[in-house]
Amino acid sequence: MSEIITENKTEKKMLNCKINGVALFVKEGSTIIQAMYENQQKIAHYCWHPGLSIAGVCRLCMVEVTGNPRLQIACNTQVIEGMDINNTSAKVIEATKWGLDFHLINHPLDCPVCDQAGECGLQDQYMEFGQYNSEMAEPKTKKHKVVDLGPTVVLDSERCILCSRCVRFTDEVSKTNELGIFNRGDHAEIGTHAGKKLDNKYSLNTVDICPVGALTSKDFRFRQRAWYLKDAETICNGCSTGCSTKVYFNKEGLFRVKPKHNAAVNGYWMCDEGRNTYKFVNKESRLLKSYQFKNNSWGFESMAGAATRNLINIFKTAKADEMALVLTGQQTVEEYEAIVSFFADHLKSKNIFHWNNNESTVNDFDGLLIRGDKNPNTKGLLQVLSKHQISTKWTDLENQLASGKIKNLVVVGPENISVYNDLELKLNLFSKAEHLIYLSSASLPQWENIKTLKYVTVIPLKTYIEKSGTFINYAGLAQKFNKVTTVVSEALTVSEFAQLAKGEELKIEYVVSENLMTSEHQRADQVVLEHRKKNEFVFNRGQF
Amino acid sequence: MSASEINTSANEIKYLSEFYHLPEFKTLEGYKKNGGYIQLPKALKMQPQEIIDLVKASGLRGRGGAGFATGMKWGFLPKNNEPRYLLCNADEGEPGTFKDRMMMEKAPHQLVEGMIISGFAIGSKKSYIYVRGEYSDSINALEVAIAEAYKAGFLGRNILGSGFDHDMDVYRGAGAYICGEETGMISSLEGLKGQPKLKPPFPAIQGYLKKPTIVNNVETLAAVKYILRDGAAGYRKYGTEKSAGTKLFSLSGNIVKPGNYEVPLGFSLKDMIYGLGGGTKPGKKLKAVIPGGSSAPVLTADEAERANLDYENLAQMGTMLGSGAIIVIDDSKCMVECLANLMHFYHHESCGQCTPCREGTGWLDKITTSILAGRGRLSDIELLLKVADNMKGKTICALSDAAALPVLSFVSKFRDEFEFYVREGKSKVKGVVYKTPSYQSDHSKLGAH
Repeated sequence: MSEIITENKTEKKMLNCKINGVALFVKEGSTIIQAMYENQQKIAHYCWHPGLSIAGVCRLCMVEVTGNPRLQIACNTQVIEGMDINNTSAKVIEATKWGLDFHLINHPLDCPVCDQAGECGLQDQYMEFGQYNSEMAEPKTKKHKVVDLGPTVVLDSERCILCSRCVRFTDEVSKTNELGIFNRGDHAEIGTHAGKKLDNKYSLNTVDICPVGALTSKDFRFRQRAWYLKDAETICNGCSTGCSTKVYFNKEGLFRVKPKHNAAVNGYWMCDEGRNTYKFVNKESRLLKSYQFKNNSWGFESMAGAATRNLINIFKTAKADEMALVLTGQQTVEEYEAIVSFFADHLKSKNIFHWNNNESTVNDFDGLLIRGDKNPNTKGLLQVLSKHQISTKWTDLENQLASGKIKNLVVVGPENISVYNDLELKLNLFSKAEHLIYLSSASLPQWENIKTLKYVTVIPLKTYIEKSGTFINYAGLAQKFNKVTTVVSEALTVSEFAQLAKGEELKIEYVVSENLMTSEHQRADQVVLEHRKKNEFVFNRGQF
Repeated sequence: MSASEINTSANEIKYLSEFYHLPEFKTLEGYKKNGGYIQLPKALKMQPQEIIDLVKASGLRGRGGAGFATGMKWGFLPKNNEPRYLLCNADEGEPGTFKDRMMMEKAPHQLVEGMIISGFAIGSKKSYIYVRGEYSDSINALEVAIAEAYKAGFLGRNILGSGFDHDMDVYRGAGAYICGEETGMISSLEGLKGQPKLKPPFPAIQGYLKKPTIVNNVETLAAVKYILRDGAAGYRKYGTEKSAGTKLFSLSGNIVKPGNYEVPLGFSLKDMIYGLGGGTKPGKKLKAVIPGGSSAPVLTADEAERANLDYENLAQMGTMLGSGAIIVIDDSKCMVECLANLMHFYHHESCGQCTPCREGTGWLDKITTSILAGRGRLSDIELLLKVADNMKGKTICALSDAAALPVLSFVSKFRDEFEFYVREGKSKVKGVVYKTPSYQSDHSKLGAH
């Protein structure tokens, strides 16, 4: 995991202050809540988010400043020299308790059926400050439920505490301005502006920053309870930006990806596309065993390690210029190093080619996070290639395959095949080789469409979730990440493949996988989003 | 109160409203005939800072409700050439207040002249008058007056050859109470939802369109020209040391002669009610007075008879002068019903931004309505106080306080009526239970309001 934190270069004056009795040294211009947040002090808050502007509306982050009889909100009060602040006095605790109660009086308290339960701001604060019985005896305000905001997000207005984080996100970060708060007072509701849907490439960030269960992700809702999930940090492999992420998983598989704060790369956000990168890791879309295509049919099922050992002879006997290696930008630097040195140094073959799936869009950038190069480690691959002084042209590969010069072709295929539109085209090309050794984490139904197959060995690979390594992003930033979990324990990393192919001993640990995540086990979202309920109050505005 | 105790010698001082009885005062000609646009050329020859100092010395305080010293407010503007705006707050949404309306309808030029002078003093080249949407007559009168002023060269480029440019426009509000709050008004004027803005930054530093902005009430701006005419000492002839000048009061409720009355600050509330207002109707006794618009804590009859109409005295009595709307309540009125009415108003008008106000106003409304319907619990009375207490001083603007203060004062001063209502399920005063008000059934309806 990268631990890169960029410090603001401009020198700022430091101020002395005291928060809850702890003497602190904070940057001039910091608000009290920033100072507390950066110094791991607990403070209740809903509307404040470090990546958004200050709204100051939840009124929960009350602090007492010595010398001021009125409680102040920490999010909009700047620290001044010598300030003595606390949020532990009886006065503050009472104010916070009431602030929480105001949030809860019209809240449906439907935690047992709410997706946010277990990671909900209201629950957390209630355990911290509440644990009382509500005095609200009047009927609760009714609002809209199951509002279909767009392709990715569902809104439950009764759970909403109107912190306006999502509205500010679409105004300030995605700059798509779909959301607004409609109506006044306790009838106010979040909604999309007339004729608009919450449909942008970053829409699911609104679900992350929603402190309650008002906004839920259509992809994740009702799939798992938050407390049945473990999480681990990794790097998104969706594009060359390399956002820091957290993946949530259990023995049934991976369920979601969320951004993790990384000031150097992605701030607090990630794109919706990146959140789908867990899907190709789950067992349902994986290649589990090694197979061979020989004599016009697929067969010879075997374990990956055994299949690789069977190839040792080929690598021993084949001539260097009859061998070639194709690499994509989807593996780690360590794996590139292993396989490239195996080819270049051990086999003395310089026939190593870069399969670039997005030559025309490689430099595209949407201004926020999404980049046109849909590979996490193109830079890493290019660095390893140039280190071994390999410069080849793709056309050379095509010519040599056409002329039959290349007999044994090793291809390390992409993990995320959804961004490889040229996959079938390339498989057609590769199948011209006498023996194609195709390493892939994805099971490829595309093989069915290739009519010119001669002799193919497919070997299952591990995905980025199942190995440790380094990705080098578009800017040349090397980010290390650790293995999260094992999904297909029989699969190999590219380094392991290289080691085995060299004939070295490698103990492969076979763990009986508990990963059961297959499509049969997945339940469909059973709540029907009735068209009637879609943003009704927005479209009927003014008719009441 | 016997007739002998009533001070009939207490009279209005018609300072601002001297010529309001003349229909011609509305026109440019009539206004000029009666002393209009004499101060403007004088002012344009002065140094702006001189005018600000003069206003400071006069002790003029904001007439919109908060009573903040006008000269000091102007002094908060940054001392540079950044463009700045002068906004006139004519939203007049505080229940019980109708003085600005009269001023705009009877003497639009008085406001226009006051604004040009004030604009010159603070260096603003553009001003807006934000008028409450329902005030069609005021808007028409102002638009005519502004057009006349342009024609006469009092507005536009190089006013009266002084080199000072000033443009003025009328902006029609859409009827939200919250748009009378200065930052709410600025949001509305910017075309945004009428919601108060977080302070700091204060409008004088960053207001309309993020530029330095001064927001003053109609009456405040109209008074500026009189300060120029009479000097600071002349203005201070009326009123008290800390509450200088005269003020228009809107007298309404259970009173024989409701209407607007101009009196010097420090005037006795008793004289206002019994002298100018003619007292309560025959056979009725004074029970309570809300002295400064619906947000001001209520006074009992006894307190009201001791009170003076100035900022300090009313603050001492635990209430406030506010916008100067005096609402008189006689003994035929049920205080529970009055409070429920107010709570419904604040529930309806909360902008919904800050949680304590958004949820609290609704909660208070629901509790008072359920008491009114005979469903109250004894614990509800304490709950009203607790909820109100925790809404006070916890939000961006003062609407939350405006809803909380009446609750605290009504319940603590007329607790017997509330307890009776809860215990007996009917009004102590009227002996009946109210039918569920029509708006109460709306709570269950989606999207009501």
